[in-house]
Formats: sequence, structure tokens, C-alpha cells
Amino acid sequence: MKNSHGTNAALTGLSFLFSALAAAFLLNLWGRPVPPEPIPPADPVFTNTATARVSGAELIRTGGDASGLDCYACHDKSKPVQLHFDEHKKLVLPEEHQDLVMGHGRHNRNNNCFNCHDEANLELLQTRDGRELKLVESTPLCGSCHGPTYRDWEAGAHGRPSGYWNQKLGPVKREDCVSCHDPHSPAFPSRAPAPGPHPLHPAARAASGSEGGH
Amino acid sequence: MSDPNGNSTGTADSRAMNRRSFLRTSAVLTTGMAALAASLAPLMELDDFTSAERFMQKYYKELTPGEMARVLKRIEGEVERQYGIRPHVRDLKPMDGVEFVYALNLTRCIGCRKCVHACVAENNQSRNPEIQYIRVLKMPHGSIDVEKAQHNYAPESVPEKGFFYMPVQCQQCKNPPCVKVCPVHATWQESDGITVIDYDWCIGCRYCAAACPYWARHFNFTKPTIPKDKVNPDMAYLGNRPRRQGVMEKCHFCIQRTRAGRYPACLEVCPTGARKFGNILDPNSEVSYILRTKRVFIQLKEELGTSPRFFYYFDV
Amino acid sequence: MKMAVRNYLVFLRRCVRIAFVGDWRYYAWMGALTFFCLLGLNAYAKQLAHGLVVTGMSDEVSWGVYIANFTFLVGVAAAAVMMVIPVYIYNNEELHDLVIFGELLAVAAILMCLAFVTVDLGRPDRFWHLIPGIGQFNFPASMLSWDVVVLNGYLLLNVHICGYLLYCRYQNRKPAKWFYIPFVFVAIGWAVSIHTVTAFLYVGLGGRPFWNSSIVGPRFLASAFTAGPALIILALQIIRRVTDYRITDRALLTLRGIVQVSMLINVFLLINEVFKEFYSGNLHVASSRYLYLGLHGYHALVPWIWTAIIFNVVAMVLLVLPVSRSLRWLNVTCVLCIVGIWIEKGMGLVVPGFIPTPLGEIIEYRPSLNETLVCFGIWAFGLLSYTVFLRMSVPILQGRLSKASESGDRGAGEGPTELRPAFKP
Repeated sequence: MKNSHGTNAALTGLSFLFSALAAAFLLNLWGRPVPPEPIPPADPVFTNTATARVSGAELIRTGGDASGLDCYACHDKSKPVQLHFDEHKKLVLPEEHQDLVMGHGRHNRNNNCFNCHDEANLELLQTRDGRELKLVESTPLCGSCHGPTYRDWEAGAHGRPSGYWNQKLGPVKREDCVSCHDPHSPAFPSRAPAPGPHPLHPAARAASGSEGGH
Repeated sequence: MSDPNGNSTGTADSRAMNRRSFLRTSAVLTTGMAALAASLAPLMELDDFTSAERFMQKYYKELTPGEMARVLKRIEGEVERQYGIRPHVRDLKPMDGVEFVYALNLTRCIGCRKCVHACVAENNQSRNPEIQYIRVLKMPHGSIDVEKAQHNYAPESVPEKGFFYMPVQCQQCKNPPCVKVCPVHATWQESDGITVIDYDWCIGCRYCAAACPYWARHFNFTKPTIPKDKVNPDMAYLGNRPRRQGVMEKCHFCIQRTRAGRYPACLEVCPTGARKFGNILDPNSEVSYILRTKRVFIQLKEELGTSPRFFYYFDV
Repeated sequence: MKMAVRNYLVFLRRCVRIAFVGDWRYYAWMGALTFFCLLGLNAYAKQLAHGLVVTGMSDEVSWGVYIANFTFLVGVAAAAVMMVIPVYIYNNEELHDLVIFGELLAVAAILMCLAFVTVDLGRPDRFWHLIPGIGQFNFPASMLSWDVVVLNGYLLLNVHICGYLLYCRYQNRKPAKWFYIPFVFVAIGWAVSIHTVTAFLYVGLGGRPFWNSSIVGPRFLASAFTAGPALIILALQIIRRVTDYRITDRALLTLRGIVQVSMLINVFLLINEVFKEFYSGNLHVASSRYLYLGLHGYHALVPWIWTAIIFNVVAMVLLVLPVSRSLRWLNVTCVLCIVGIWIEKGMGLVVPGFIPTPLGEIIEYRPSLNETLVCFGIWAFGLLSYTVFLRMSVPILQGRLSKASESGDRGAGEGPTELRPAFKP
């Protein structure tokens, strides 16, 4: 037959090719999936439902050390408290209260402890209109100046509710102002952010340039 | 017929020729078949083989309550075998008179990403590769254009001056493009506004991911990995039960919590209370209050007509 | 009735048999294609085992070369209509005997399209969810469902037309006009529809401004009618070389005319697109900027698209000049067209739609080894199919494989004197 040499060669070549291919497949020589880069598990601090701080009420409720709230452990009921100001009319904290950070209002607006605390009874707070509030019930005091925020808080639009949105099925917990805001320095503290996204193909990402986004 | 040497051949030689050509052809066919079989060798590494029951499982909306109960039981068994804990999988139905809406206060978000990780923990998302339903965008003051966003910020502390932070997740649009394009109806919108996915129906074509203007839909490119001790056993069929390789998933407003009356996980961890969730049909809910009283809302990419149920607003 | 079925089965058996007979070049070609098919199959097995993570796709760029090739090949399949129209509407004699090769190319291209879509699915074991009645078919809302209908319909149309004409020729019987002419005319409209529906897959997505533009449909058709006939020109010359089937130069030049006009329209539409994207300076041009100029330091696609544009413009100029009347230059031009349009439709359309993501992030895409092997495998499978179709149809059309020669059939499908009838020594 004409060309049978050619056909011979072709078919023999193909037999070898297919055998080699079969071997290559079984040896799994290429295309193995790259094991992913390990991603450390997220720190539990990023998934807890803690508020920004622990309020006094919460401290008492959970049985923590509330000795700092007992004013008359150090103060004398018969001796009124004296406030001291420096030459710039700025309040000077006594060394026993150096742990406080004073920062409630800019330009030293709240430069006087007794804007909120009751000088006659240190275990109470006072509003401008003369209401007296317990230390652990401070929210109406905040609201007496921060009206719009207080209205929002009452409606649930400010602060962080937790529990049930459907109160027919369960209770909702509204946090007090001081659960998030330090009354002496209410500005929300900054914190370290949780880890960002991890791309599916980190090697390709690295090869293509700067971090995603810009 | 003559052989290559030019000698005339008789029947004996033609039989030899036929034998040789037979051997040649059978050699090629045999080695070819061997190569074919060997090429399929990687399938031995497939450990997530579909059982007959799973293969034939009906569409969610066609399952009778009895069939659904069997399916849930089967899922509980599968999760127990894989993770060692017995979960409680429910098929929660939408509540009457409820339409969920999410409001996010951009004044308050500090970009801490706690919501991202709380969602991952609550919804049994794959940790490696990591799937995150929420993406927090760091935006410069003055613009809501997402092309100016940064995704990978990792400063010492947040918030940073001159920026605001905008978390984006599934907007549960009233006019969802993903629902329109799915060729098999694997994703649809329920009466309470949540766009859900039947993970056992999805064929993994990823058309919905191309269609979503908010990049909210995520695909399981490989078998999801969840550490056994991190599995959340409180599951829902349309919600946080573990998914398989090759299907889509996305934020479903923590359906296993919200349909039981609870807040979603992202809201519960937010330290600043930037997130607000509730029933817009209830005039006394906080979201109704917000939409009534706050004056400026942003619905992302409003011009696309998707009508998202996610409202961004500012206090100050 | 039984006789008819038996006859048909004999016909099919002989067709299958003849596909395994040929000279050494045939075996070498088919063996090489089988080699690539097996490579592709092995890569796909790895993808089934480990998931689509073995490709270069990610949540950011969730469609890649699979869908790019699918889009290109739907265009090639649609281009068969560019041979049907001259023959059936304008009674072109030169192309009359060659239309079937275009239709067979369409069948092979559709098979490749179906393969590309299947390998792109995350859960191909759930394909039955697409079947109307048993599954949940989202027709008419989802454009993908339209695509399933039109592609399978087009496949059936072409298989019927080719199969019927070949069987009639095999039986040396004149084909009944009513049994194929209406289908041919339906196929003309249907061919346009398959590519329009595929374009609408992209156009209908409001969230992707790069695709959400009315020019995508017309561009698809213009580029399809350029690349498809260009492929056919090359295929016909190969058929002419390895068989003694009569293909005139005039036929090739008629097809050249079609490629010429289509490429002119394609380049014109490109100019329209570029003007619209860049002149007014509005903000939704990030994807175009990424593609043509690079964006924020990412520029992986820029060399590709400029190569494609240069290829297309050079091809257009060559097509307009008489120099492309010479077959050598025509072949160069055809290759430039095919490569340029493949890049344009693949990297120039699918990938930039995903970059940047709807949230503004840029993650670039590069196909992985496995992905590339699967693509080669499917292309090899398509070429294999087309070669088999030609191996069956050319002898039938020339009368060498016919009912009359059935009695002489022993073993190899034809008698000894006809061992290599269709292939030149």
C-alpha cells in the first residue's frame, strides 16, 4: 500500500504520544491547585458585641469593682468641694482625679464639674432646671443639652439597640449614653480596624501592582 | 497488491498485513483509551460527590412541608458529619406585614470592620478563601463616587481625618437585577424584601454577580473551609447553612435572626450604633423614624433604578 | 419504515467508519487534536475536583476566557448566514456548493460554545435545572435563558439542514425543497438572533456601564461577520488543498467582499465607541480608560487592545486595496481579522467590564494554566468535530460515498481503490 510507511509512523507515534500522556496525567505533573495563603482567624475582639466602654450601671450590674463610684469614701459630707482654676481659667484636676480626661465641649465649655455634678450631694447629678438624677441614671442629663441626639436616642435612631427588633418576640436593650460615651470626654475613641479583605489569587494581585483600590 | 519490497503477495501476506494493521490500530486505540481514562484521574480527588437524593432535590418553592423537613434533616446530618456538631436548621418563612429596611448612619461609621467579621462568624462563611458579604469603603470627604474608594486601608486607628466610611452589602433592591438574570430562578425576592438564594438550586453561572451593581454576590470558587469550633449551629435553609463549592451566596439580612425577630449580627457588633434595621411598615420602628426625620438619603447608584432597601444618611 | 431506519443506520455507520480512515497526515492531525482534547479534559477534571479556583477568575473578574471564547464562537456560528444569504437570496453560483461547509462550521462552533458554557458553570451537575418543565427556566426575563433557546435551536436547524442535504446526496435523491428551504430562511434570521441575544446578555446589565451601551449589539454582528467569513476563507482553502473538491477563487473573493464591508463597519463602530467614551469626559469611563490607557497603574490589557486595533485597521486597509485579491495577502488579512477580533471580543469586551468592580476596586485577571488547557481542549474538540464533518461530507458531496457503493463496502467503509479518494497523494 502506498504511504503505509507514513501511516505506520503516524500511528506508532500516536501510540507513544498517548502512552506518555497517560503517564503524565497519572503523575499529575502540572496544574496542581496552589494551597491558599493562610489567613489568621479574626481576633475575637472584632466579633464581640461589647459597647465602647463599661458604664457605671453596667459595672454595678455585673458585679465589677464599683468603688470608684463611692464619692464619700474620700470626700467629707460636711466639707464642700473647692474647684481650682489656673491662670487661663481652665479647671485644674486634683491629683486623685488625674485619671479623668476632661474634654466635654471645645473651648473649655464644660469647665466646671458642677455643670453636671451636684455640689451639695456628690452621689447625684443635677440638670439646669434643677432635676436631680442618680449617677447611674445620667441619660436625661445628657439629653437636657443634647436635644436632637436625645430625641433620636428615644426613637432608637441613636445608639446601639440589641436583641429583638420585633418586641412581640423578645426584648430590645437600649444602651445608656455613658455605655458608649465617657461623660468627661464624650468624643468617640478611635480604635484599630479589623483586617481587610483577602483576595482569592494573592500572587496574581501582587504581580499586577499596588493594593486594590488606590 | 505488493509489499514494500515489491514482491507480489498472496493471501498469506495480506493476512499478515491485516494483522499488522490490526495491531497498529488497536495499539493506538488502547493507548488512546488509557490516556482518556488517565486524564480523568483528578476526579478521584473530588470529595464533595453529589448523592442521588441531593441531585434530584426539588426547587425550594416546590418542596412540600414534608419534603422540606426531610431536606432539613439531611442537611443537619451532613453538617454533623462534616463539622462534628449537630446544627438546628430551620425553614423560616417571612412574617406578614413586614418589609425590612436597613439604614446606615455615615456620620457614625468609623470603619472598624467589626460588622464584616461578625457577619463572617454568624453566617458560616468560608474562612479560606475568605468570603465577606460586607465591604467597607474608605471614601474621601466630598464625594460618594465609589471609584474614589479605598478597600484595603489598614491604619493604626480609625477613623482617619478627611475620610468617611461606607459599608456596602447586598442592598436587597426592590427591583433586583440579579433576580432578573438568573436563568434557573435560583434567586428571588421574598415578601419581606430579602433577596434569597436556594443554594441547592444554583448552577453557578455567575450571571447574577455580573449583574449586581453593588458587587454584593459572592461565589464559592472552591470548597469552603470553616473551622469546626467556629460553626454557628443556629441555621436557616435560605440563610447561613454551609454552602458548597460552585454556588453563589450573599447577605440575606441574617435571615435566621431577623425572621425570628432579632437584629442582624452586623448591627449587634457595631460599636457606634451606625447601623439601623427594622420593619418599614411599622411606623414606630427606628427605621421609619429615620426615614421620616432625616432629610438627606443616599441610595447607592439610585439612577440604575434598582430601588435599594439600604439607605445611607448623615446626622451632621 | 423499518427499511428506512435500517438504511439510515447504515449511512451513519459508514459515515462514522470513514472518519477513521485517511492518510498519515490525517492521522497526525487527528492525533494532535486528540492530544489537546485530552489535555483539556484532564484540566477540566482538575477544575471539577477543586472548583473554579484553579482558573484565574475571582469575585472581581467573575467571567474570563471561557465566556470570551464563547462570545467569539457564537459570532463565528452566526457568520454561516453570510454564505447562506448570497446563495439562497442572491443565487450566487460560486458559493452554492460551499454553503454546507459554512453550516458545518456553524455546527462545530455551536458545539464549542456549549462546551465553553458548560466548563464555566460552578455546578454542571445541576444542568437539568435549566430544562423547562423539569427545572425552573427563567424565560423570558433572563437573557441567558434566551441564549440557551436560540443556541440549541440554531444547532438543531443546522444539523437538520446539513444532515438532510447530505443524506439526500448520499441516496442520490433530489432533496424536497419544503423540507429544507424554509429552515434555511429561518436560519438566516436565527443566526442574527443568536448573536444579538448574546450581545443582550451584556447590554442588559445596568450596573456595568462599559457594557450597558446600545453599540454592543451592532459591533458584535459586524465583528462576527468579519471573523466568521475570514475563518471560512481559510477553511475552504484547506479543503481545496487536502481534497479535490472544486472551490473557485471567485468564491473566495466573494467572501472577501463580505469581510471587507463588515470590517469597515466594525472599525467605524469602534471609532463611534471611543468618541462617546472619551469626548464628553463624564465619569463612567473607568473601564474604557483601563482598557485603552491603563488606570491607576494597572495596564495589563493595553498592549492587547492596541494590537487588536492595529490588526483590524491594517486588515481593513488591506481589504480595501486590490492587493488582498491575491490569495497570499488575503490569507494574511484573514488571520489579522480573526486574531484582532478574537482579542477585541475576549479581552476587549469581557474583562474590562469587570475592571474596576462596581465598587471601584481593580483586581486584574490572568488565565491560569488549567484554564488555558481547557480552552485549547475545547478548540481542539471543535476542530476535531469540523474535520470529522468534512471527512464525511466531502466524499458524500462528490458522490464517492453513496448508497450505490454500499454493496462494495467491506470493513474500511470503501473498497480498496477508494482508500484515499478524497485526499490527494
